[in-house]
Amino acid sequence: MMDFLNAIVALSNFVLIPAIAYGSQLALGALGVTLIYGILRFSNFAHGDTMAFGTMVVVLFTWLFQSMGVSLGPLPTALLALPFGIAACALLVVGTDKMVYQFYRRQKAKPVILVIVSMGVMFIMNGLVRFIIGPNDQRFADGERFIISPREFKQMTGLREGLAIKSTQALTVVVAVIAVALLFWFLNRTRTGKSMRAYSDNEDLALLSGINPERVVLYTWLIVAALATVAGTLYGLDKTFKPFTYFQLLLPIFAAAIVGGLGSPLGAIAGGFVIAFSEVTITYAWKKVLGYLLPESLEPDGLVQLLSTDYKFAVSFAILVIVLLFKPTGLFKGKSV
Amino acid sequence: MTSNPYQDDRGNKDRTITKPGGGAMQAGTGTEHAMNTGDAFLIGDSMTGGYGKTGPDILHDCTIAVNKGEIAVIVGPNGAGKSTAMKATFGMLHLREGSVRLDGRDITDLTPQARVAEGMGFVPQTSNIFTSMTVEENLEMGAFIRTDDFSDTMAQVYDLFPILKEKRNQAAGELSGGQRQQVAVGRALMTQPKVLLLDEPTAGVSPIVMDELFDRIIEVARTGISILMVEQNARQALEIADKGYVLVQGRNAHTGTGKELLADPEVRQSFLGG
Amino acid sequence: MSDMTKKIGLFAIVAILIVLTGIMQSWNTALQILNMGLISAIMALGVNLQWGFAGLFNVGVMGFVALGGLATVLVSTDPIPEAWGAGGLRILLALVLGAATVVAAIQTYTRMSSGRARTGAMLAILALGFFVYRWVFDPAVAAVEAINPAAQGNIGGLGLPILFAWPVGGLLAAGAAWVIGKTALGLRSDYLAIATLGIAEIVIAVMKNEDWLARGVKNVIGLPRPVPYEIDLQANPAFVERATSLGLDATTASTLWVKLLYAVLFAIVLLILLWMSQRALHSPWGRLMRAIRDNEVAAEAMGKDVTRRHLQVFILGSAICGIAGAMMTTLDGQLTPGTYQPLRFTFLIWVMVIVGGSGNNIGAVLGGFLIWFLWVQVEPLGQVLMQLITMGMAEDSGLKAHLLDSTAHMRLLTMGLVLLLVLRFSPRGLIPEK
Repeated sequence: MMDFLNAIVALSNFVLIPAIAYGSQLALGALGVTLIYGILRFSNFAHGDTMAFGTMVVVLFTWLFQSMGVSLGPLPTALLALPFGIAACALLVVGTDKMVYQFYRRQKAKPVILVIVSMGVMFIMNGLVRFIIGPNDQRFADGERFIISPREFKQMTGLREGLAIKSTQALTVVVAVIAVALLFWFLNRTRTGKSMRAYSDNEDLALLSGINPERVVLYTWLIVAALATVAGTLYGLDKTFKPFTYFQLLLPIFAAAIVGGLGSPLGAIAGGFVIAFSEVTITYAWKKVLGYLLPESLEPDGLVQLLSTDYKFAVSFAILVIVLLFKPTGLFKGKSV
Repeated sequence: MTSNPYQDDRGNKDRTITKPGGGAMQAGTGTEHAMNTGDAFLIGDSMTGGYGKTGPDILHDCTIAVNKGEIAVIVGPNGAGKSTAMKATFGMLHLREGSVRLDGRDITDLTPQARVAEGMGFVPQTSNIFTSMTVEENLEMGAFIRTDDFSDTMAQVYDLFPILKEKRNQAAGELSGGQRQQVAVGRALMTQPKVLLLDEPTAGVSPIVMDELFDRIIEVARTGISILMVEQNARQALEIADKGYVLVQGRNAHTGTGKELLADPEVRQSFLGG
Repeated sequence: MSDMTKKIGLFAIVAILIVLTGIMQSWNTALQILNMGLISAIMALGVNLQWGFAGLFNVGVMGFVALGGLATVLVSTDPIPEAWGAGGLRILLALVLGAATVVAAIQTYTRMSSGRARTGAMLAILALGFFVYRWVFDPAVAAVEAINPAAQGNIGGLGLPILFAWPVGGLLAAGAAWVIGKTALGLRSDYLAIATLGIAEIVIAVMKNEDWLARGVKNVIGLPRPVPYEIDLQANPAFVERATSLGLDATTASTLWVKLLYAVLFAIVLLILLWMSQRALHSPWGRLMRAIRDNEVAAEAMGKDVTRRHLQVFILGSAICGIAGAMMTTLDGQLTPGTYQPLRFTFLIWVMVIVGGSGNNIGAVLGGFLIWFLWVQVEPLGQVLMQLITMGMAEDSGLKAHLLDSTAHMRLLTMGLVLLLVLRFSPRGLIPEK
């Protein structure tokens, strides 16, 4: 019995909790991708770098507040800097839209032209972030590190396995839930939100109904900026901030959005968790958990790791292919077919 | 290759990166020289023009008019420019000649959206509802430009189409063909238009549903809304029409009341199958 | 200005830029730019085949280039008999078993009627196959990697001349492209972009982690060369004499000569591939390709197998990228998986194709040269610019130091800007498709 509990604790500690946190981060990122896909009709290759830009501003403001001695006590100072990051990111993406994307919309350019344009934007944003903050790792998490530290947990329960809940993980989940709730309330309950869904559904009819496309696009970018900055900041708090890592997040984020069904916000969330859980479970060394569960004679001597962590991209990719083979529109019937 | 480089997607159909089905609607332009004609409620007067500035003319001196509270129907063989004539009155064509007037006011140079604000409602033939949204949300979106309370109008629409009230929280895309058309018409009615343009409202629905839709359309007309519609089912449409236009190759071939046209042997022979 | 003069003029500009580099900086730099320009032009040719001819959106160029790099190691390094004795064959067996598992699963899927039994059978085959594979594979890998890990620890290569690696690189890339194309192009919608993006990352991950293959991040250095070594040239009295008669010292002359030889080799490959691409473009095959691109529905209605054609062109384009990748690793003389980055090896190639002119082979080649030149020269130019900007600032100013340090990142900014400007003002590229 004790072994069973230990196994569950080990499982939660190394698989469930990290996967939930990572899944929330991916879901927020995928929501941004899926919104742009739904409204502007293209996959935004610059999304990873948009996240990086927002997070960079948050990091800079966090440092500023830290140097001024302002803090939130046990909570990370980054939360205080978050609104500034969102504002800066919003300015950036709206400015980009006015200077770059708007022209192609007026030309009624084919979406794939916009994809190529987004590559150019990606280069610029990537360069901008590296130019300002440099290509290196930046840690900016402060405040309490743990809500429950492994030692406390062991003392509390008397189990052999410790359970750690990092405050950043808890924060990630709480913030993600709030953000998603706000987003869905906005999309389903407000006039502007509904007009965005209408525009995504049927552009011509939306125009006939008097919906102003430029307004819809503006709101989309604002929401995307907020989502991207929040996702990036949470990821950075949980791990570290490095521009290149954010660029690489593009793959799991795209995978999440596609698995869920491009254009479907609900799908983006589901996709984020599907990708996160498969990545973590397949790259986790199960030796410990199995050691508790199996009788001694069967105990594995290897690590029982299905794939090394370096292959986490392979996992997102494999899941993606499998889902597409069996459900070409994604789990939540996106606009993809 | 197309002439516009931004329209050239090299045949790429990659669903991972682009979403198909962007809006294809483009505003046409007016003649930029307005004329004064007749006094029908909505009139597309001597319209000549086609799609795009360089496109060939599809309409040739074509005139379509509808009086207040009446039903006007455009019929004709395939490719006669029926839908085109109606779209021209809605500002989706590049008119070289002629004018469009609504209630005595020249609207030739207005965009389609501006015409909606002026009191025109348009129900396209296809993609005329928001499939992913509920029936009620469809109606709400129809009333998007209204800043006043539109619950009365919505109640009227529900009175007109009781089935919609029943299904108001269902996604419009899940409804049957006839019900979808009702949603489409209902959506257009939400702006309280003075004139309603219907592009083949009965395309693809069963004869029974068609009869019911025509009944509803008559009801709408009785509330004082002028109706201009394009119909494939010429005989049934002319039966309910106050005025009928038979177009051939973008020109007015026959014009008259619905009854007159139905009685006209030439029209019967050529267009109504004897 | 006629079409031909414009082309010649644009290429002349590139030539002048490279010559100016030779005069103002050094001829070594100029030749380096030329060599990588040649390779970039080949990569751009490959991508242009896919995007320009067929509208296929390949964002995994990096993966194919890396596979070409891998080929050089597998072909040209000396075989390591101890490794083969310790477990090389067993690794091969494991790979065969792995492949057999996948084939068996696919066969089950196509042969059995759909239902729970099929899903179950497939999962069982995959799970069993995976564990058997790992059971065969893991000890063999450990054994191979244990052999002289400081210098080897891999299975080595075939010990063939490195020039053979170029076509082999193409074949490897073609094989990978076949697998990707079969999966992604066969789906109901086109999902090529995400598939290539993913595969490229996986290829790099494999190359970084499978030490038995090509030493992973420990890198393979000192690959054999198709051209003489500088040291040997300097020791050759005849060469030294010739150099002195030209007024050059032996060291400079040897480095220049080696680079020149590479340039000739690369130019030959580029010309062959360019000629073939041009022939393909104007052949019935190329016309059909463009017909499909311009109206897929019509082509399909005429009974053309669109998916098959797409697969063909995707494989060909990827193979060209693989060849270029092998050439690049040959030029570097080493394989360093850590240096493969998507911005440099995927998206930069895209900039070349778009700037040069999608659908036009000559344009792609021009784009390759031009963008590569910019990529190299933006850094020194940026340095100069920053020095000008920061001239008035105090010597110890933190901002000045930061600005001067950051010039390296101006490359990315510039590339983005160039791409956006071209898309905006010359959307068909410098040399548009006719």
